[in-house]
Formats: sequence, structure tokens, C-alpha cells
Amino acid sequence: MVLQNMFQTLDAFWAERGCLLAEAYELEVGAGTMTPDTFLRSLGPEPWDVAYVQPCRRPTDSRYGENPNRFGRYFQYQVIMKPSPPSFQEMCLESIQALGIDPSIHDLRFVEDDWEAPTLGASGVGWEVWLDGMEICQYTYFQQVGGMACRPVTVELTYGPERLAMCLQDADDYRDLMWSDTVSYGEMRYEEEREYSHYNLEIANTEMLGKMFEMSEQEAREVTEAGFPLPAYDYVLKCSHLFNLLDARGALSVTERTAMIERVRDLASAVARAYVARREELGFPLLKAANESGLESPTYKRR
Amino acid sequence: MTADLLFEIGVEEMPAPAVLPALRQLEVRLQSGLAELRLEPADITTYGTPRRLSVFIKDVTRQQPDIEEEFKGPPASAAFDNDGNPTKAALGFARGKGLEVADLEVRDTDKGAYVFARVTQAGQPALQVLPELLESVARSLTFPKTMRWGEGDFRFARPIRWIVALLGEEVIPVEIAGVRAGRVTYGHRFLSQGPVELSRPSDYLEALEEAGVIADHHRRRKMIAEQARVVAQEHGGEVRLDDDLLTEVNFMVEMPTCLCGSFDERFLDLPEDVVVTVMSAHQRYFPVENASGALMPLFIAVRNGDDKGLDVVREGNERVIQARLSDAEFYMREDLRVALADRLDGLKRVTYIEGMGSLYDKARRLGPLVRWLGEAAPVSEQELQTAARAALLAKCDLTTNMIADTKLATLQGRIGGEYARRTGEPEEVAQAIAEQYQPRGASDVPPATNAGRLVALADKMDHIAACFLLGLRPTGSADPHALRRDAQGIVTILLDARWRVDMPEFIETALAEIVGLESPTYAKAGLPDALPPEQAALQIAEFLLQRLEGDLAERGVSYDLARAVLAAPCPDLLDAYDRALALAQVREQDEHFEAVIIAAERCANIVRPVRAEQELSLAPEMLVEPAAVALHDAYHEQQQRVEEALEGEARDYAAAWQALSALRGPIDTFFDDVLVMAEDETVRSNRLALVGAVDDAFLRLLDVKKVVLEGANDQQ
Repeated sequence: MVLQNMFQTLDAFWAERGCLLAEAYELEVGAGTMTPDTFLRSLGPEPWDVAYVQPCRRPTDSRYGENPNRFGRYFQYQVIMKPSPPSFQEMCLESIQALGIDPSIHDLRFVEDDWEAPTLGASGVGWEVWLDGMEICQYTYFQQVGGMACRPVTVELTYGPERLAMCLQDADDYRDLMWSDTVSYGEMRYEEEREYSHYNLEIANTEMLGKMFEMSEQEAREVTEAGFPLPAYDYVLKCSHLFNLLDARGALSVTERTAMIERVRDLASAVARAYVARREELGFPLLKAANESGLESPTYKRR
Repeated sequence: MTADLLFEIGVEEMPAPAVLPALRQLEVRLQSGLAELRLEPADITTYGTPRRLSVFIKDVTRQQPDIEEEFKGPPASAAFDNDGNPTKAALGFARGKGLEVADLEVRDTDKGAYVFARVTQAGQPALQVLPELLESVARSLTFPKTMRWGEGDFRFARPIRWIVALLGEEVIPVEIAGVRAGRVTYGHRFLSQGPVELSRPSDYLEALEEAGVIADHHRRRKMIAEQARVVAQEHGGEVRLDDDLLTEVNFMVEMPTCLCGSFDERFLDLPEDVVVTVMSAHQRYFPVENASGALMPLFIAVRNGDDKGLDVVREGNERVIQARLSDAEFYMREDLRVALADRLDGLKRVTYIEGMGSLYDKARRLGPLVRWLGEAAPVSEQELQTAARAALLAKCDLTTNMIADTKLATLQGRIGGEYARRTGEPEEVAQAIAEQYQPRGASDVPPATNAGRLVALADKMDHIAACFLLGLRPTGSADPHALRRDAQGIVTILLDARWRVDMPEFIETALAEIVGLESPTYAKAGLPDALPPEQAALQIAEFLLQRLEGDLAERGVSYDLARAVLAAPCPDLLDAYDRALALAQVREQDEHFEAVIIAAERCANIVRPVRAEQELSLAPEMLVEPAAVALHDAYHEQQQRVEEALEGEARDYAAAWQALSALRGPIDTFFDDVLVMAEDETVRSNRLALVGAVDDAFLRLLDVKKVVLEGANDQQ
């Protein structure tokens, strides 16, 4: 199955299970978790089921396009369900089967891997999903986000489409993966990986990045204080990405690194609090919608 | 009437290390819980897989036996008036116990006549009392980490998805975390067809095996070990079965099938430690070695399932290990662009511990500490030079890509050694760097080379000194800086090398290196529990002796003797260790041991309170009573023998004890004949001084007051 068909298959699968299909967020993020559709929506009591593809950037993973399965920019397929339904693990396995993987001839299992995102003040309990020893998904029950306990608990399933495709297409190198029937992943993205790797690891102007960090930090703080958590969060994301770039350039001492993580976390936590306060002001609209639908549980959208 | 009990908690995959401890808790708590309920179990067995924690209990009684309890009420005189009519007290007492006054009994006790109530409590059917027990046991399980899920507030290691609770053929009606117990369990995710209904507990293992699950973890473990051996041998190798990894893997599968995969031979150019760690820490594979013990480009993976499609699984796993090893290869290629020694400057930017400067500061501190140790220990100048160089470069690997990979971080030290070797450092320096963290735990060996020992000792003592100064000493079970391991390491290395090192001086030197930093930032860290160096020194000395005490206990030295030995001055751990072992043997063999201790204790008892107040000085010529003179003469002679026995390297503690035990007679006679507490102050303090000298002589070996004598309880 080519990559674009995988996305279509997963879209159909999760839409059928009540997820709304969202689009990727347009800012640089290190993981799908950081997008507002996950980070912010997992806060507060409102139900939220969503699926989307999110391009992610991890400058420290840059390998000049030469490592067969590690890239500085790659994709995640993100599924969020709040509250976490009891049958989620089964759904996860069914979705993998929907992609054409027959579990009876593979080794599919859940391996403990608790998750922590220090810059988001977030942590969760969960697993890597292994397919024949390869991590293809992350499956996490959020326990804390933006420094706040998650009630109810959000469950997140993040697929690594490239990893999955390597199994599905029996490829040993990402460059050989087919995105469509005619264009390969390498043709689409090799040059990009190469150039960005040079940029991320060697070229990026650390002094400028440092300045941009300071400016973005200030903007995030001011916009949060002005009472607009959504645009403020954009600047938190910018801070996070600038931090990642500085980190990849080896420009941070361990102390500076820790301090910077704390700064981003403080911003994220402030935005999270402001977001929840605003949703409460609005009367938690999605909770209301769920109640009005006549069902007791906010999982009204589920079949 | 008995019936078997089955209790299975079905969960989303548990973290492998959490399963066994949870099973142990289940067993212990159910055992005691059933006993409390007077439901005698015959036999408890636990089973665990990633998806289930199970207990099978044979022959649980179906019905609690009745019990009769007796309660003591008011005195008869208060319960009945003069006419023998019950008072309010009697009525109230009877009502409180659910009885009529007529049911009360009056009996004489040694405090007079009292009213008693005898209450029979009817036994309940087990089915009625078990739900509460099972629920509370499930709730009481503790895990290193727990979680919530869905909309609930119940905390457990992982979400609970089903529960089986059967007593005989009946379901025990219990609900845990919103999940109602039933008789339905689930087999292997992909080897079974739908839910599995159990008629009775004894069907459990068989029904699950039919559904693709080996629930008995002992059996599963054997299967893995056996298969791994066979598969490796088929490929001409021997599997390296690490015990901890085997346990972990065992709790990651419900039906094990081992397979052997291979990787590109070029990766064998990587340091063996790296290849093994990538295999085991990342992928939970077992390495394979050839007849001469060298690594082969093979791995054993344990699949959770049967052998269907095993080739597909193998290829997938091969792809992964290839990529992981490529990462390691990338790290090493990048890392080796810089000589290890050229990383020294980079350490300035890495904080060691907040308030303790950078790793560079640490590297600079280690030099003088190694030098001091090298003077104290029997090492050559060459070894000292090697150690000094190794100490300087010891922390350089902490800035490498390899160690930055969290899964490979456990290779710190060994990577430094490898990179030192590959970037032009002498082999001896490389080895000392590699050995610096040894012993890494109870199952690890101390460094083999003298240079490695010097670096390891200095590194550990510096770490302990830094943390104690900051007030970061371990409390209770919390030891986030692993200081107990470091202290144990110091003890183990010194005993292994048989080095005599003056502990107070060693501690003081380490502290002075830190305090003497150009900018003692630790003082500014402002931690609430920070200690002044003098106090830190005392606490560290005590901390080390606690570790030594643990060692002695493991060697079978009774705790009181160990404490007695360690309560005597112990500037040198090796001396204290040898002394304790020797005295333990003496205690076993010398039938007069206790009598000697008792005599010496008399001295300690009388002189120590006085000494706490004033100094005493002995004037032998002033002693006149024959018993006093005799004691002094004996003391004088034996004390010299003690000193001779304890001189030099081959210390003969048994001989020292023999000498001291010769004082027993003179001590006893002295106390019988002479009144120590004479009225004349000069006479009194001189006699006390004599007794004090004897106490001091014993303190060369032990503090006699810490020895617990047999029958000590009778005397009190």
C-alpha cells in the first residue's frame, strides 16, 4: 500500500469510529502531540475525537538523508479520543489490520514506553506498538498536560507512517518507499532531508535563533496575558522549534538546555490554563453538545 | 466443603518489570486476607503474562467456620444489685452484644467477679465475603507507576479490561474499576478465536493454552531459554542468556517462539558493549557468541506467537537491528572526529550537579584526589600517572552522541575507554576510564587495575562528598543520586584490593577539593539541607560504615558484633572488616568470650560516664592495692601484646583478643577487692584512669557495650 493510500485508509477507519478528520497544523512541531488539536483539546472536560496527518520536525534526528529510517522531517498520523474508550486497544489493532497487515504472520505487540514532553509539562503512560520489533505506533494515555491533570483521560495513538510503509512495501530504505504509484518518498523528500540536515546541524545561525527565541517568548507571554491563548500558543510552538534547532546545533550547555525547557514549559502551562479558563467561560460547548444529544456519556459520537 | 478459587485481572499490557512484584503482592495479600476471613487456603499459585495477573488457590473452604468470642463486661457487683437484679450496666452490656441478660455469665477473675458475654458469630458463605477481599487486594497493589484511564479515578499499572473471579463453578460477584467479574477470559490476541469461557478454576491453564497462552510464567521462561539455546546452536553459536533480560522478555510474551536473525558483519567493528546494548536494551534480543566467546552477527528474538510467518518476523527484526546499529555507527563516526582529550573543554558547558560546578570542575578535582589516594595506596608511580590522566578524561564521553542516546547512556565510562583507545590514549588509560563506574551494582565486579581503582574511588567519593555538602543524602528508600551504590562501591573496591586508606583523611581531601573550588558555587545553591564540611565529613564516614555493616551481615557476622566493631575507631575500612570477621570467629570458638566481654563491660560502665565529664590521667606509681597493681601490670603487658599483634600488614586480631582476655581475671579481682569510687578524689580518679586504660585497650578491637550477650534479657 502506498503512503497516500495508507492515509486514506486510516482516515476512513477512524471517521467510521466517530473521529472528525482534521488537517495538519501549519507551524513547525516536533510531534503531532504539540498541535492545538491534541495539546489544547486534551485539556478540560470536553469530549474530542479527531484524526489527522501531521508533518513533524526533529532537527536532532537529521541524518543528511543517509540513514534508512531516521529523518529530521517526517510524518505522524495522529488519533485522539477523549475520554479514552475501553476498546481503544482493539481499535488500534484493527486499524493496523485495515492497512493490510496480517497479525497472524507478524509479531505485533505493546511494549511499555511511558511518554514525557518536558516542554509541554505533559506526561502519559503507554506503549510503543511493535511490528516485528519495529516501533510503528505510540499509544499513550495522557495523565498530565500543561501541568494539569487530565480528567477525563485522553488517549493518543500516533502512527509512524514511514515505518509502517517500510513493512507494507517491504522496503529497507525510506527512499524506496512509494508515496503514490509513481513517485517515491526519496524523489519527493531526499533533497529536502539533505539540505535541512546541513541547515539544522551546521548552518543555522544560532545567534539569530537565540534572538528569535527571546522575541517569541515575549510575544507568547504578552498574548497570553492579553487573553488570547490560541495565537499565544503559536509562539510557544515557535519557541519549541527554535529550541530544537539550537539543540541540534549543539549550541546549548546542559544548564542552558534545562533552563530553556523550563521557559517553554512555563509558557505552555500558562497557555493551557488560559485555554481552559476560556473554554469554561464559553460553557464547555462540546460538553453541552454531547449532553444535548440526549446521551448520558460524552462519547455520544461513538457507535 | 472446599472449592478452588481463580482470580484473574486482565489488563492492557503491563510493563514487564512490574508483573512479578505484583504477583508476589497478590499472593501475600490473598494469603493473609483469606486467613483473616478464616477461609483456609490449601495452596496458592500465581501466573503472570503481559495481559494478566492471576491467582489460583486450591481448596478454599466454602463457608467460614462459626466463631465464638467472649467479651468481658462490668464487674458483677456493678451489673447486679443486691437483690440480684440486673442494673443498667448489665442491660446495656447485654444489648450491646445482642444478647439477653440471662445469657450473660458471671465468673471469678483475679480481680474479682465479672460479667462475661459469649457471642457466637455465624460463619458466612465464602461467596459473600470474598468480593470485598478481592476488591481490596486489587486496590492495594502497589506499582512503581500508576495511571488513570477513561472517566474513572481508579489507579492501576495499566487499564483493567476484564476480571475473572470464580469459586468452584460460581462467579464471585466483585466489581473493580467499573469492571464486573465473570467467567470469561481472553486468549492470545492473534492465536485465539474470541473469548474463552471457564467452567471452573482448574480448567484455567489448559483453556488458556488452547487459546494460545502459556500462563505459567515459570514454564514460559524455561521454554524461552530452551528454544533460544536450540536456535542459536542451529546457527553454530551459543546464546548469551542474561538473567534479567530473560525475565523481562518472559513478561513481554504470552506464547514464546524464538527465532535467530542476523545483521551485517561490519557492525562487529563497533565496540562489543555497544552491539550488545543495542540488541538487549533497545530490542530485547539475546546476543549469540561463537565457541571462543566472540560475538557473532546474530541475534535471538522472542516472538509473541507461534511459528507462522516466522520468516516475515525475522526479516522485520533484521531491518530494525540494522537501522539501530546504523545509528550507533553514525554516533561513533561523528564522535571519533574529535579525540577524547579534545572534549575536555566542552565539559565546561555541562553542569555536573546544580551547585557543584561543571563536569570540567569535577575532572579537575579528581586529579588531586587520585594523587592523594595514590600516595595512600600501594601503587606504582606509573599507575598513578595513568590514573591521573584517566581521571582528567573520565567524564569526556558524556558529551558524545553515543551517550546522549538514552538507551545507550548506560555505556558511560566504557564508551570513554573505547574512544580513548581509538583516539591515541595508552591502553592502560583507556582501561582505567572504562572501569571508573565499576562496580555498577551488586552483581558487577570492581575495577581490575590499580589505575581503575584509583579513578573509581576518587569519582565515587567526590560524588558522595558533593551530594552530602548539598544536603542530598539518601532518605529512606529514596536515593536519587545512587549514593548507596557509590558508597558500596568504595567499600567493595577497598576490600577487594585490600588497600588500607585512612577514611577520615580521604573524605576530608574530597571535601577540601570541592570547598576549595575557586568559586564554591555550592554555598550559593541555597539548598535547605546543605551541610558545613565538618558535619558532612562525619555523616559520610558513618554512611560508609553502614555499607560495611551490610557487607559484614552478608558474611554472617551477627549485627551486634558488627556494630561493636564499627563503634570502635575505624579509620580504615579494611581493618574494620578483617577485625569483625576475626572476632566473629573468636566468638564462636572461645567459650570465655562472654565472660571477657562482661568483665570489660564493667570497666566501660563505670568509667565512661566519668570520662564524659572530665579527663583522667593515670599515675601507676600511685596505685597501692595489690589488685590494682596486678591489673595495671597485666594491662601494661597485654596492651603491648595487643599493639604488636595489630602492627603492620598481617594483623592478628585473634592474638590481640587473646591478650585482652588475659585481663579478665585481674579485672574481676580488681572490682572485687578495690572500691573504685574512693572518697579521696586523687585516689578515685587514678583508679578510674586505670579502668579507662583497660577500656581503651578493648576499644582497639571493639566497643564491648554493643555486644548483646546471650541471656541478656534475663539479666534485665
